[in-house]
Amino acid sequence: MTTADITVNHLTARRRPRRRSRRVPSWLKWALAVGTPTLLLAAWWVASARSSSTFFPPLEEILTRFQQLWLFAHFPTDVVPSLANLAGGYALAVVVGIVLGFVLALVRPLRWLLEPIIHFVRSIPPVALVPIFITMIGFGNDMRITSIALAATFPTLIATMDGIRSVDGTLKDVSVVYRLTRTEKFTQVYLPAAAPQIFAGLQVSLQIAFIVMIASEMLGASTGIGALTLTAQQSFMIADMWAGVLLLGVLGFVINKLFDLVKARILAWYFGAKEAQRDS
Amino acid sequence: MMTGHYWRHNSRPLAYGAAGVGLLLIVWQVLATGPLSGTSLPTVGQALSALGEMLGDGAFWEDTAVTAGTALIGLAASIVVGVVLGILIGTSQLLRFATSAVLEFLKPIPPIVILPIVVLILGPTTEMTIVLAIIGCAIPILIQTVAGVFDVDPVRTDTARSYGMGQVEILGRVILPGASPFIATAIRVSAPAALVVTVVAGLLGGGPGLGQSLYQAQTAGDSARMYALIIVLGVLGMAFQAASQLVEAKALHWHESKREVQA
Amino acid sequence: MDHATPVPRLAVDRLCKSYGSGPQAKEIIRDLSFEVAAGEVVCIVGPSGVGKTTLLKCITGLQPLTSGEARIDGQPIDGPPEQMALVFQDYHRSLMPWLTVRKNIRLPLRHLRLGRAEENQRIDEAIEAVGLSHATELYPWQLSGGMQQRVAIARGLAYRPEILIMDEPFASVDAQTRFELEDLCLRIREQFGMTILVVTHDIDEAVYLSDRVVVLGSKPAHVVEVVTVNLPRERDQITTRATKAFVDERTRVLSLIKNPHRQEMADA
Repeated sequence: MTTADITVNHLTARRRPRRRSRRVPSWLKWALAVGTPTLLLAAWWVASARSSSTFFPPLEEILTRFQQLWLFAHFPTDVVPSLANLAGGYALAVVVGIVLGFVLALVRPLRWLLEPIIHFVRSIPPVALVPIFITMIGFGNDMRITSIALAATFPTLIATMDGIRSVDGTLKDVSVVYRLTRTEKFTQVYLPAAAPQIFAGLQVSLQIAFIVMIASEMLGASTGIGALTLTAQQSFMIADMWAGVLLLGVLGFVINKLFDLVKARILAWYFGAKEAQRDS
Repeated sequence: MMTGHYWRHNSRPLAYGAAGVGLLLIVWQVLATGPLSGTSLPTVGQALSALGEMLGDGAFWEDTAVTAGTALIGLAASIVVGVVLGILIGTSQLLRFATSAVLEFLKPIPPIVILPIVVLILGPTTEMTIVLAIIGCAIPILIQTVAGVFDVDPVRTDTARSYGMGQVEILGRVILPGASPFIATAIRVSAPAALVVTVVAGLLGGGPGLGQSLYQAQTAGDSARMYALIIVLGVLGMAFQAASQLVEAKALHWHESKREVQA
Repeated sequence: MDHATPVPRLAVDRLCKSYGSGPQAKEIIRDLSFEVAAGEVVCIVGPSGVGKTTLLKCITGLQPLTSGEARIDGQPIDGPPEQMALVFQDYHRSLMPWLTVRKNIRLPLRHLRLGRAEENQRIDEAIEAVGLSHATELYPWQLSGGMQQRVAIARGLAYRPEILIMDEPFASVDAQTRFELEDLCLRIREQFGMTILVVTHDIDEAVYLSDRVVVLGSKPAHVVEVVTVNLPRERDQITTRATKAFVDERTRVLSLIKNPHRQEMADA
């Protein structure tokens, strides 16, 4: 009787006793999840419809201004540059963070040399670095990309460093025993093994990049979503300000969701393994 | 406290680390007096003397206290709001499903996005800073609390109920202790975030504290003072990190040892 | 031993291994010596915890020795030799969780530059040999422990080392599959002339597989005796195991493990 060789598939594995949804049928779950935000938006619409408050214009007006500003009048002049800076700064941060993290993980004296500095700079609120760059580089795109890149490098750098250092010793032994070349060892064993941790760092880096993008525009720029929103606030164009806030909120959500999708795809093996572990 | 063993084990990394800092200062000085001398980069001496000046200035200490204090108040408020709402939502299936979409949407949005509105309504005040801190920190704490409550083994709550324990008692003796690791971790992550939001509120929104000092230094072009403030903020950041890690460790330790006894 | 004996494939010469230094040093292995000739199957048995895995790590060059030497074809080993492969006891952690079974087996083959056709052939043969043909596209975490162990073995097989070292390779496998894998070992020795060194806690298995059995004693690990197994080269799971010779050898090895000192004194 071969009991030891039952294929354990994560779809059929025994799960920890989960709460049965005793009284809530799934259509109701769905309705609640979708209905609540809809209801909230509707309530906002109605409550603000006849508002004369300066701070809370009617939702209808906000949405109108949203469409007028961002779809598509100011799209090329403000949205695109903002996102381009974000993309450029983030890409730079990712490359530098991973490469440097790799090097520091493997070269111990270098790590000892730089670790205190890294942990100190990492503790500085990222937005506080922007004024430094403004005084050094000015108000242009260069300043923004540099600020974003520098601030966003640290979470990835630290995560990569920690991830590579904690690669399972047995996997390292395997790559030694089977005489993998250096490149093979790093790219095919260390990197995938550290990927879950690196991705965690990449996600924090993305969030910081987004924040610094906004801050760098609010502190000194004439173009960009953040800049426009702040200008609207200072000029008391309240509906425009709300429209800007709305766009930023949506962008923040969408960017994170995209990252989650990429992460789910690349780390599918990791989530599968974790689930299998949890159920066993 | 620093036993001989600690020194023997750690002396080399510490020495390297100190050397690294020293190297950084040398490179900084060389750049500031050489190729970058015309730019806004202050020399090490200028930055350090600005730092010294600040440390002797009562107004600076006031600002520091305001920043640290506001961050802590914001954190405390966030904990209260987050944990209370989290438990409410976590214990009710209906509320959990209803709020899931909303929370998912709000979670990745940083408070800087809302800053213009809050500043508009509340002005450059401490209240504005605290509201922003709550917006930034309460939601992650809430989400973690819900997860923690959800994670509590239903067998335990059923057992407690079968012993005739009332709802409140179950809450205090089964659910809260079970959820506390999640909550402790959320607090540990949120504490530095509260500080960051406070500084952002000061820098961009004019709220009182070191953030505003930084903004003023920037507009005045006083780069030595800017660098000095950055150094102070870094130290403050590390202090918040260290303190929150200690608190988390204490809370988890209590949780673990309590668990041992129950099991 | 006649002097025309060729240099043994693998020689362990007064190997010592300790952790730490000075008076607090922990001596794990002391003065351990044995030899493995080309094409031999040798099993190492001994009480659990004696340090068999540490011994293998020292032999394969994964860990440094404190003193003594391990030699392959007369040359000292200071790092895992090209001709050697090790199947780890900790099979679960030795497989790459982001690779399918097939890709896991393929990993060490890539830099051998065999060409696609030969590579695939080796992989298919190895997979079939361990009985995992139905699982090639699964991930390690979708497999049971026994299946994971077989993947690790297949990986070693596909590599076609000249010396295959295995650390408790059949521990998690059920009895039926274990017999099949044991016969697999004997087959590949015949087919490829592989030299095989196996650490096992199963004495029946050690006697069934080996030409010689190295019996270890503990505290610190040392060779109690090297038993030459007096069984015909051709082995069969049913008939060989039923012979009196098998039972005798097994008894001999078992008593060496249980009463190493009494046996040593009796032999003296």
